Amino acid sequence: MTFPLLSLIVFLPVAGAAVLVFLRNDDAVRWTALSVTVLDLVLCIAMLAGFDTTTHEMQFTERRAWVPALGITYALGIDGISALFVFLTALLGLICVLASWVAIDRKVKAFMVSLLVMQALMLGVFCALDLFLFYVFWEAMLIPMYLIIGVWGGDGRVYAAFKFFLYTLAGSLLFLIGVIVLYFNGGETFDILALTAQDLPFRVQSWLFFAFLVAFAVKVPMVPVHTWLPDAHVQAPTAGSIILAGVLLKMGAYGFLRFSLPMLPEASMYYSTLMLALSALAIVYGGLLALAQDDLKKLVAYSSISHMGFVTLGIFALNLRGLEGGILQMFNHGVTTGALFLFVGLIYERTHTRSIADYGGLMKAAPVYTAFLALFTLSSMALPGTNSFIGELLVLSGGFAASLAAGSAAVFGALLGAAYLLGMYGKVALGPASVDGRYKIRDVNAREMAAILPLAVLVIWVGLYPKPFLNVIDVSVKHLLAHVQSRGSGQ
Amino acid sequence: MTAAALFQSALASLPEIVVISGACILLILGQLLRKGQQHFLVWASVAIVLIAALATLMLAGEVRPAYTGMFVADRFAVFFKFVFYLATILTFLLSRKYAEIEGIGSSEYYVLLLFALSGMMIMASATDLLSIYVGLELMVLCTYVLTGFLRQERRSNEAALKYVILGAVSTGIFLYGVSLVYGLTGTTQLDAMAAAVTGDPLDPGLLLAVVFIVAGLVFKVGAVPFHMWLPDVYEGAPTTITAFMSVGPKAAGFAVILRVFLNPLVAASDVWIIVAVIAVVTMALGSFVALVQDNFKRLLAYSSIAHAGFAIFGVVAGGADGIASVMLYLLIYSLMTLGIFGIVIMMRNGDFSGEVIEDYAGLSKSHPGLALLMLLYLFSLAGIPPTAGFFAKFYVLVALVERGFVMLAVIAVLLSAVAAYFYIRIVMVIYMREPERVFDPALTPSVRATLAFTAVGTLGIGLFPAWFLRLAQSSVFGG
Repeated sequence: MTFPLLSLIVFLPVAGAAVLVFLRNDDAVRWTALSVTVLDLVLCIAMLAGFDTTTHEMQFTERRAWVPALGITYALGIDGISALFVFLTALLGLICVLASWVAIDRKVKAFMVSLLVMQALMLGVFCALDLFLFYVFWEAMLIPMYLIIGVWGGDGRVYAAFKFFLYTLAGSLLFLIGVIVLYFNGGETFDILALTAQDLPFRVQSWLFFAFLVAFAVKVPMVPVHTWLPDAHVQAPTAGSIILAGVLLKMGAYGFLRFSLPMLPEASMYYSTLMLALSALAIVYGGLLALAQDDLKKLVAYSSISHMGFVTLGIFALNLRGLEGGILQMFNHGVTTGALFLFVGLIYERTHTRSIADYGGLMKAAPVYTAFLALFTLSSMALPGTNSFIGELLVLSGGFAASLAAGSAAVFGALLGAAYLLGMYGKVALGPASVDGRYKIRDVNAREMAAILPLAVLVIWVGLYPKPFLNVIDVSVKHLLAHVQSRGSGQ
Repeated sequence: MTAAALFQSALASLPEIVVISGACILLILGQLLRKGQQHFLVWASVAIVLIAALATLMLAGEVRPAYTGMFVADRFAVFFKFVFYLATILTFLLSRKYAEIEGIGSSEYYVLLLFALSGMMIMASATDLLSIYVGLELMVLCTYVLTGFLRQERRSNEAALKYVILGAVSTGIFLYGVSLVYGLTGTTQLDAMAAAVTGDPLDPGLLLAVVFIVAGLVFKVGAVPFHMWLPDVYEGAPTTITAFMSVGPKAAGFAVILRVFLNPLVAASDVWIIVAVIAVVTMALGSFVALVQDNFKRLLAYSSIAHAGFAIFGVVAGGADGIASVMLYLLIYSLMTLGIFGIVIMMRNGDFSGEVIEDYAGLSKSHPGLALLMLLYLFSLAGIPPTAGFFAKFYVLVALVERGFVMLAVIAVLLSAVAAYFYIRIVMVIYMREPERVFDPALTPSVRATLAFTAVGTLGIGLFPAWFLRLAQSSVFGG
C-alpha cells in the first residue's frame, strides 16, 4: 500500500484541532491553526503536482474495510473534478483562519477547532469513494457549521443556525434513504465506482433522482429551497460565510456530478429540462433579489444563488462546454464570492455596518481595499480577463446548445449581475465620502493582504490562462459525459 | 425433573441466581452498616453485577434450554443481559453522590435495583409467556417502589401511584391475552404455540389474544397509545431511577417484544401492521410533544418515547437484520442516554436542581468539557454522524428498506428531523446563551468514570461500528 496522502490531507486538520485543545494562549491557537492550514495546503499542492491529468481513473486511492457486514469501506480517491475542489477547500481554509484573526475575539480556541474540523470534513466529502463515508462527512459538517453560525454569528444567529441546520438535515435524510435504496438495488455495496457501473431501471432512477435532488438542491441552493442561505450568510461570521459560499454550496453541485449524473444517467437526461428551468429561475430570481438589497452581505448572498444557477445550468446542459464551464464556474465562484465575503467582513470590522447606504467614497480612505474590491466585483460580473468570464462563457455556450430559453435567461441574469454589482461598487467606493466622518477607516494591512493576494492571483490566472485548470478536469469530464450519454440514451 | 436436569437448569440460570442471592445478602448486610459506610453498598452491588457478568460470559458458549422450556440462555439473552449489566452498573456509579444529596442512599435502594436487574434478566431469557410474566412483574414491582423513593416529594409519590395503577392494568391485559392463548392452543410456550396452530392463523380469538399481549408489552416500552404514564413517572422519579428506567426496563421490554412478535404465530397474524402504526404514532408523538418541553427530564421522557418508536421500526422490519438493528439500537441508546442523564444527575447539587433546560444556559463558558460531552450525547441522540446514534438509526433504516418498507423509512427520517430540533435547541442553550449562574456540578470520580465510558462508547461505536454490528448480528436468535 502506498503512502496514504489523502488520509493525511483530510485528517491533518483534525489532528491540528486536537493539538489546539491543549493550548491556552489565544495567539498560540491562531498561529497553530494557521500553520496547520498552510501545511495542509502545501500537501494539497504537492498532491496536485503528482496528479496525472491524462486519466479519468481515481488517483491516490486508499481502501480499507470499515463495516464489512454491510459492505462499507473506508475508501478515498480523487479524479480531476474532486482535485480542483480539494485544492479550493484547502486554500479557503487558510484564508478563513486569516479572516478570523481579529474578527473572532472570544472563544478563539473553540472557533479554530470548529474551523479545522469543518475543513477536514469538507475535504473528506470531496475525497470519499464510499457512499456511506461520503454521507458521514456530509452530515457531520452540520455540527461545526451550526456552532460557527450560532456561537460566533451576528444578532440573529440562533434563528439562522436553526434554519440552516434543519433545512440541510431534512434534505440529507431523504438522501440517506436514497442511498440505502441504491445500496439494495446496486448489489449491496456502497462503493461509488461500483454503483456507477450499475444499470438501474428507469423507475428506480427517477425516485432516486428526486431523493438526491432534495439534498443537493438545498445545499446548492436552488430556488425554491434557497431561503436558508441569506439568513445563514448574513448572520455567519466572515469565515463562516467564506466556507458557506466557497465550499458548502459547491457540494450540492458536486453531488450532482458525482452521484446524480453517473449513477442515474437516464433520469438525469430525462429531467434535464426541469433542471434547466430551475437553474434559469435561480439565475433570474437571485439576480432580481440581489438588485433590491441594501445589506452588503445579503447582496452577495443572493448573487450566490444567481451564480450557482449558472453552475447547475452548465451541468444539466449535459454537453462538454456546459459541464466544463459549470465546474470551472464552481471553482471561480468559490474564489470570487469567497473574496467578496472577505471584503465585506474586512469593512465590517472597521465600521460595524453592512448597509450600502452608509458607505460612499471609500476610494479616498482605503485605495488598496477599493482597488481589489473592484477586481473581485468585476470578476463576479464576469468581465473578460477575469476567471468568471471563461466559466460563464462556457456555460452560456453550453446552455444555448441545450436550450435557447435557458440560455437567454442566463444572459439576462448576467446583465442583472452587472447592474447590482456595479451599483453596489459605485455606491460604496465612489462618490462623496460618507463614512469617513464617523469612522476612521484604515486600509488593508499585511495579514489581510496575505488573505487577498492568493485569491486575486487566481482570478487573473484563470481569467488569462485557464488551460491548467481545464486540463485537470478535462479527461474526467469527458469520461463522465460519455458515460451519461451512452447509458442515458436508452431512454 | 432429574437431578442432572435440575443442575443443568440451575447452571443456565446461574447469573440470575448470583444476582438474586447477592441482593438477599446485601439486604441483610445493609442493616448492619453504620452511617458513613454507605459507599460499601455501591461497590458490593457493582461487584455482584460483575460476578453475574462473568458467569454469563462463561456460559455464553452454547444455547442452554432450562426449566422444561420456560427459560433459555442463548446469545440473544446474553446480549441483552450485558446491556442490563451496563445500565445497572452505570446507574450504581451515578447514584452514589446523588443518593447522598437526596438522602435516599439506604440499602433498599441498591437491593431493589438488583432485584429489578434480575427481573430483566429473566425477561431476556424467558421463552414462555408465564416466565415472561414472572420476570416482568419482578422488574416493575421494584421500579414502582424506586419511583416513589423520594418520600418527601409529592411529584415522586404521585408518579409512583400513577405507575402502579396503570402498570397493574396493563399487566392484567397482558395476562388476559395469555389466558386466551392458553385456551386456544393449550400451551403458553412460545415455540409450542406456533406448532399448535394448524388452522387459520387469523382466527379472531387468537388475533384478540395477540392484540392484548401486544398492548401489555407495548405499555412497558412506553409506546403510544400506552405512553401516558411515562412523562410523569420520568419526571417524578429520582433522576438516577429515571436514567435506569429509560434504559434497562425499556431494553428488557424490547427483548420480550422481539421474542414474542417474531414468533411464527404472531408473525403470521399480520400483527406487523399494528406494530407499524404504533411505531409511526409513537415516534410522531414523542418528537412533536418534546418540542415544547422546558423540563429536561420530561424532554428526555418524550425523547425516549420517540426513540422507542424508532426501535419499533426495527421490529416491524423483522428478520435477522431487523432484530439485530433493534439490539444494536438499544445498546447505543443506552450509552448515550446514560451519558446525558449522568450530566443531569451531576448538576443536582445544593439548591440547584438542573431540571430546567434554561438552567444550562452558558454552560460552555465555565465547563467547556462538560458542554462538549453534552454536545456529543445530544447530536448522537439526534442521529448526526459520526456518532453512534447515527449508525443505530442507519442500521434500522437498512433493515426497513431491505424488507421493502421504503415509505416507513421516509417517515422515520422525517420524524427524526423533527426530533433533531429539540436536541439542538439544548445545544443552543448551552453554547449560545450567556451564563446566568455559577455552576457547581457534583463531579465525583465515579460520575467522571461513567461519563468517560459513555462518551467513549458513543463516539467509538460511531467510528468503528463493525465489531458491535457483528456482535448484534451473531446474537440474533434463530437467525
